[in-house]
Amino acid sequence: MKSQILPFFLSLFLFSGSFSLAQPKISVGLGLGLYEPTLSGFDENSDVLFPTGNMLNRNFLFNWAVYYEFFSNARLGYNSYSSFEVGKLDLINSKAVYRRTIIYRMFPLETYFRWKPRIELNFTLTPIWGRGRIFVDTTPGDKSEDWNQLINSFGDSNPVSDLGATDAMTNDWIGFSGMIGIRYYLSTRIGLDMKMGFMDNSYKNEKWRLQKKEVTGPKMKIDELPLFSFKVFYGFK
Amino acid sequence: MRQFTSTVLFFVFLFGQESMVDRPNPCEDPLLNLAEKKGIKAIPIKDIPRFRKLMKACEDKGGYKVIEKIVHKDWQRDYKKAKIMASFTPTFSVIVFLVMIYYFIGLGLATN
Repeated sequence: MKSQILPFFLSLFLFSGSFSLAQPKISVGLGLGLYEPTLSGFDENSDVLFPTGNMLNRNFLFNWAVYYEFFSNARLGYNSYSSFEVGKLDLINSKAVYRRTIIYRMFPLETYFRWKPRIELNFTLTPIWGRGRIFVDTTPGDKSEDWNQLINSFGDSNPVSDLGATDAMTNDWIGFSGMIGIRYYLSTRIGLDMKMGFMDNSYKNEKWRLQKKEVTGPKMKIDELPLFSFKVFYGFK
Repeated sequence: MRQFTSTVLFFVFLFGQESMVDRPNPCEDPLLNLAEKKGIKAIPIKDIPRFRKLMKACEDKGGYKVIEKIVHKDWQRDYKKAKIMASFTPTFSVIVFLVMIYYFIGLGLATN
């Protein structure tokens, strides 16, 4: 059944491509965001040394978006800003691989007008569904024994001695954002979009979850943040 | 399923091979007519490469003004459609603008 899914979607794509008379009013964008959060739970943590913060993992947000123009001067869409960090933690028992992601998922309503044939001004309000995740490789005590018991039953004898496992702690929060932007169209399909605005997140560090258990996470100041973004848009409309 | 996919692909490529050779004037191609009447963005994605080739072929045959007219009309169509806000959109834009002003004034006062 799985092997039929890909040909099915391929056929669907080809058929829809063959019979459609015009494109849906869809545009997609790729770009970068810039903001300045205070991640004191990581940067000022004296018990565990986290990887050093830099522009890439603190201030830059990787951004992609897709919009549908439902009215002559308005679009609805999905806009995702992601911050990543990867490194090693110097823990007492091991040097664990650590990953941290913060994703701001936005569902914007954007209105716009063309000031000049090539220049558009746009206005965006959006709710935010934020999600933070921290992944750490750990080495639970009985892990290799359990695996060895299983593998021994297949005929091998104690092949593994040191195994790790990855768990993640997660936090979800809501927020909202407002932005004003300017878009310059290079052609009738391609545009450069710059936005400035703010976002406000109701993040609480006591609300993290690890294996369904509520735990305390890092302190982060991500409310009332100015936000800038730069995107390249391609319109299919 | 493989045979079905192969058949579909065969027909797609077969129709995709529609040659421009038997059309003496690329500027009169239905695709260029569609772009002129309904706009460049009305062209299906699968026909975009062929449309680009047609534009170039038309320009090479001296139809520079035809292409220029298509592009100009497309810009004007987009501009006319979006230059005046309608319905709820101006109200929404004013609200966004006021929220922004309120936020940045608040930020300025809090910083001081």
